[in-house]
Amino acid sequence: MKNKSNQITAIYLLIAIFAAIIFHKISLIYSKTTTYPIVNFIKDVTLVLITGLTYRFILVKNDNRNLSFFEKLKRTNDKIRESNEKYDIVAKATSDTIWDWQIQQDQLIWNKGIKSMFGYDENQIGNSSKWWFDNIHPEDSIKMSIKLYSFIEQKTENWQDEYRFKCSDNSYKYVLDRGFLLKDENGKPTRMIGAIQDITKRKEEELRLKLLETVILQTKDSIVISEADFNKNKLPKIIYVNPAFSTITGYKASEVIGESPDLLKGINTDPINIQKIVDTIKNREESVFEMICYKKNNEEFWLSFSMIPIYNADKELSHWISIQRDITNDKKQEKEKEQLINELTITNKDLKQFSYITSHNLRAPLSNLTGLLNLVEDIEIEDLELKEIIHGFSQSTHLLNDTINDLTRVMLIKDKPSIQREEVVLKDVFKKIYKITTATEGQKPLVVLDTEQAPVLYINKPYIESILQNLLSNSIKYRSTDKELKISIKSFHSNNSTYIVFEDNGIGIDLKRNKDKIFGLYQKFHNQPNSKGLGLYLVKSQVEAMEGSINVTSTVNIGTTFTITFKNK
Amino acid sequence: MLDLILCVDDDPITLMLCKKVIQKSLLSKEIITAQNGEEALEYFKNLNDLKSQNTAVNLPQLVFLDLNMPVMGGWEFLDEFNTTHYKHVNTIKIVVLSSTVDPDDLEKANTYPMVLDFLPKPITTSMLKYVTSKVTIAK
Repeated sequence: MKNKSNQITAIYLLIAIFAAIIFHKISLIYSKTTTYPIVNFIKDVTLVLITGLTYRFILVKNDNRNLSFFEKLKRTNDKIRESNEKYDIVAKATSDTIWDWQIQQDQLIWNKGIKSMFGYDENQIGNSSKWWFDNIHPEDSIKMSIKLYSFIEQKTENWQDEYRFKCSDNSYKYVLDRGFLLKDENGKPTRMIGAIQDITKRKEEELRLKLLETVILQTKDSIVISEADFNKNKLPKIIYVNPAFSTITGYKASEVIGESPDLLKGINTDPINIQKIVDTIKNREESVFEMICYKKNNEEFWLSFSMIPIYNADKELSHWISIQRDITNDKKQEKEKEQLINELTITNKDLKQFSYITSHNLRAPLSNLTGLLNLVEDIEIEDLELKEIIHGFSQSTHLLNDTINDLTRVMLIKDKPSIQREEVVLKDVFKKIYKITTATEGQKPLVVLDTEQAPVLYINKPYIESILQNLLSNSIKYRSTDKELKISIKSFHSNNSTYIVFEDNGIGIDLKRNKDKIFGLYQKFHNQPNSKGLGLYLVKSQVEAMEGSINVTSTVNIGTTFTITFKNK
Repeated sequence: MLDLILCVDDDPITLMLCKKVIQKSLLSKEIITAQNGEEALEYFKNLNDLKSQNTAVNLPQLVFLDLNMPVMGGWEFLDEFNTTHYKHVNTIKIVVLSSTVDPDDLEKANTYPMVLDFLPKPITTSMLKYVTSKVTIAK
């Protein structure tokens, strides 16, 4: 503008001086001294008019030029603004983060994406490439920078890389960064502009798929994917098998893809199973099969496999997936187990039969002996020695009889899992057995009976009678010689169970030595003449037959406590 | 006192014991025995035939029956005796006398109408007193 003003002033001065000189010459020629003031005045006015008009002309011309220049400038400005707006819109619209790197000055500018994508506020962002590189995951950083600098060196135009970029919350995002290089007239790289895309989701999906793929590749189960429909009159064509399939069948993937699974069939394959597979495919059902198949080397094996129909988004059947396992060993073991069970069942049956017969054959002559002894009892024997012998004979016979009776009862308990239950008043039962037991044992111990909390139990009456009788007679047999025998019996409900606690102050049992044996068959812990070592075994059998459990605690010379527990249903 | 009792058992000692105890308790004037179910059936068959011809016969008033016997056991005897072939004699009361302790046997015995009771061996005088009272009521 200043140039323009000078220019205009210079032109004006030139014209004005030129006009002044001409007027001066003219006045020299035509002027007379008398008219000088008038002539001079006219000359001045004319000069002013001419220069004024000229000046106006120049100014108008210049104004027009200025106007057109201004118009042009405005247009350019508008264009720039529009372009800037467009850039902003695009930058906003794309989810990419855009960076602009002045390579020489090492100045790097980020767009708003750095905030929206990575969460950085303006004051957190560095303005050089260092900040950029610093935020790249250490594992990716070296690889990325090598690639980037080699790209800049090679001066190719397009660059892209994938790396992890740190967010403001210190987590990392997988990004795809793409950039292009700008060069000056000498071909020297000056500027680089790039766009970063967040590919975390895609990358995570890739990693997830890779992880899932390892399942298919690493599993010992064979996985077969086949087409939806029959391959003419054969089963649907296989489109994928995993490595386990090859391990199991001996067929390589390339040998079976495009083929039908019919190639696993053989002589001993059950045709009924094949029909079932065909039906499954027709009905598009999910199914599981077990059948004899054949490996590539013709070896027979048992294959267990599922068939699962797979539907696509349009709910059309797209594939069948089959998961398969070689169950030859299982089958073999199953067969062995079955055989073993059969053998055991037979043996068990034989043993049961045997024990029944034995007990009967023992009982028959034994009952004769008892009967005969009953007869002898009524005969007066004078001979003292004979009397003694017969007494011993009688004692042994009765003990033998008791033992066999107990054994037979055990046998019956063990043989009959279901027993009849009824409501039993514990107090009444105890009173009854107290009378019988104290009569046979010849002792009447002090008993504290507290059944108020659980007076009635729903159990088998003969069993509870036998249990209480055995525990009571044990307490009497194994009472302490230094103190009076005291027995406490308590029944109560607690924790959804019913308890019967039977406690005495007798000689006790050394549980450290006998813990495992206490409820065993024919286990005796004290040197008592008429003990058979069967009572507690019987008690346990009866408690268990009623689905209860029995526990014992005991201290030598202090006493023994039995706790019977019945879970309430 | 009864007139006639039949004891069915394969064991001679048991039979001897039965006889002795019955004699002692003065339950019956006469005691006869059979060694197994078949022999007992044979005996009842004769009586049945005679009775069907309206001949007066001396029927036993009570039978003691063992269960486990060779040739024909107690159950088999009861099954046969319970049929119409023996309709003239099968109202005779039978006491099953066995050394079995299986409660199922007891239940089974009760299904036969002529079975008066099921008692464990050995036979005793107190048992016979009890049986006598039951027979008297049954009459």
